Amino acid sequence: MADTRASARIAHRAVLALGMAAVAAALCAFEWPLEGGQPSLYFGSADEGRFATSMTFSSDDGLVKASDDGELAFVFDSGMTSKLPSTIGSYIVVEHPRGMAGVYSGMAPGSSSAYLRSIKKGSILGRVGASGMAKGPSLGFALYDRAAGRWVNPLLLLPPLADKTPPVIRNAVLVKDGKRLPLGETKSLPQGQYSIAVDVTDPLEAPGNPGASAPYYLRLLIDGTKVAELSFDVVTAKDGKFLVGADGPRGFEGCYAEDGRIVLASRFFSRGRTVIQVLARDYAGNERQASWALLVE
Amino acid sequence: MEETGKRRLVIALAFVVGLVYFFVCATPLPRELGMEPVWSKKIDVASGELPAMPGYAGKGAGTVHSFRLGSVFGYFDEGGKDIVSATVPFNVAVSDDAYIVYDREPASLTIKAPDGRVAARISEVGYPFFGGGRTFVMHPGQTSVAEIGKDGRAIWSRDFSSIVTAFDARPDLALFGLMDGRLVGIAPDGTVLIDFAPGGSRIEGIYGCAVSPDGLMAAAICGLDKQRLVVLEKRSAAYRVAWHRWLESDFRRPVSMSFTEDGAHLLYESPSGLGIYGTGSRTETSVSSKALSGIGLSSPARGIILAVEGSGPQKNLLCASAGGKRLFSLPFSGEASFASISADAVFLGASSADGSARLLRLDFKEE
Repeated sequence: MADTRASARIAHRAVLALGMAAVAAALCAFEWPLEGGQPSLYFGSADEGRFATSMTFSSDDGLVKASDDGELAFVFDSGMTSKLPSTIGSYIVVEHPRGMAGVYSGMAPGSSSAYLRSIKKGSILGRVGASGMAKGPSLGFALYDRAAGRWVNPLLLLPPLADKTPPVIRNAVLVKDGKRLPLGETKSLPQGQYSIAVDVTDPLEAPGNPGASAPYYLRLLIDGTKVAELSFDVVTAKDGKFLVGADGPRGFEGCYAEDGRIVLASRFFSRGRTVIQVLARDYAGNERQASWALLVE
Repeated sequence: MEETGKRRLVIALAFVVGLVYFFVCATPLPRELGMEPVWSKKIDVASGELPAMPGYAGKGAGTVHSFRLGSVFGYFDEGGKDIVSATVPFNVAVSDDAYIVYDREPASLTIKAPDGRVAARISEVGYPFFGGGRTFVMHPGQTSVAEIGKDGRAIWSRDFSSIVTAFDARPDLALFGLMDGRLVGIAPDGTVLIDFAPGGSRIEGIYGCAVSPDGLMAAAICGLDKQRLVVLEKRSAAYRVAWHRWLESDFRRPVSMSFTEDGAHLLYESPSGLGIYGTGSRTETSVSSKALSGIGLSSPARGIILAVEGSGPQKNLLCASAGGKRLFSLPFSGEASFASISADAVFLGASSADGSARLLRLDFKEE
């Protein structure tokens, strides 16, 4: 009986995996919107106290191309009359297949047309600019899933990155009452409630970017037990606040510490020996693990 | 003899009918509305910061007006005695009572009064904008907005579900239109009063929105294939759809719309010109125009609507009745233009390609 249940579970998982692969294959119809652009801000990164809902590519110049077939849904140019300023500068919204709206922002004013209608994959939408609050010439690219009402990490839908370098776990700290105890340097500590925060970056990070990149997935284990995990896969607005992650969504304050580190969990450490383990995975699937042993007194 | 009596009776009856018509039915001939120039002044643009406006008597005094002409902004008084102006380095948020000059990547935002006094320093990061006497900041990403209090701190801050594409505000209601087709209305304390998706189109989106002066009505042009105009009214505690109509338009850019100052009409951009919706009668009319570059000026006291038409250097100040009758148009030339209205006058500004600019006051005249 137990064997039958296990077989059914395996079959169910196989069907689910096949389904997800089919969906991923269909969604991979997207192409990179800019050739030679260097990612400078990742989806879900901290951007002036908020989650970035787009991915930014730095480029001195270049043509912005449609990621997929679609239809122009909205165009805003810095020269247009509007009661509203645009912090993303000149932008266009393209209605792509499968209910995905692509937002191409920070474009050169006047480079895109309001008369575009039907758009083919790879067709020119405009030119890279430095409009809005973009830090230098760059393109912002965001994907909005209309059916689910949420922003989706473009890296999950764009062709895979040629990246074989795992993320770097720069450091991790335990924080209590504003005091930071670096793991590795700290060998023992009094028992109590601590939050665990990590500084993780990815080598794909563009030159000049101070390290705001977010890895795709983080997991925290304490004494071999999974305590927390965080995925930068989707951002959803709930009750007027953005939450990151499809599973166990978190608000910005619960995700980023004031110093920019990613907060993984808050936990009570009891007396005894304990091992903290962090796993970081990037968008290409490369993984890095780090662990630290502590004596709680 | 009998015929003579009948004739007399007919004449007497006609006389009586004539008298009745004269005293009861007859109305005076409508007086023709025109405009006459009162003053015209060249705008001398100051280098550096905006000089203090001498005649500014405080918030709500009503005699000092702001203007924006392309890359020049400033203030003038109704009498034309004082005009101060400055060049905009990147952009400016300007109202009759405050202005905020800011850079592309603003390190700080300072609210100044027209007399140059610093009113507050804003603690939020983003681009500022005014509406309905309220101050807002659009955060990076175009998805999040904060309302700013008198002390420069955020009263409320909200992350919206998608990009904010349209906005209008009055003292009691700030309305935000979103790329995903939602319309969100927010009270000054941050309470969400409207969270509504008109729906019904193949592609959802809000292209323009407007709030009536009393905050009891909201309107939006939304969706693609088909596009439609939706009007909401506040009934008891909630805003409900009071009227809607499918439109022939296919706008895929921001659309201008606003209520008249008495709330009696909603003005909106249409492919054929200016659409006018009567909020009381729930009827529509329109004024044909080739290219509207600005709408929303109205004089309830005179029952007229003004709009600027023309996208090139040759423009017209179009004056129409609220019933949709084109009354007259006033041609003028200017690369950038500005128009505002008070009870008795229209203020018109135009700048040329060589950078020179003028302001003109025109008073209403009935003949």
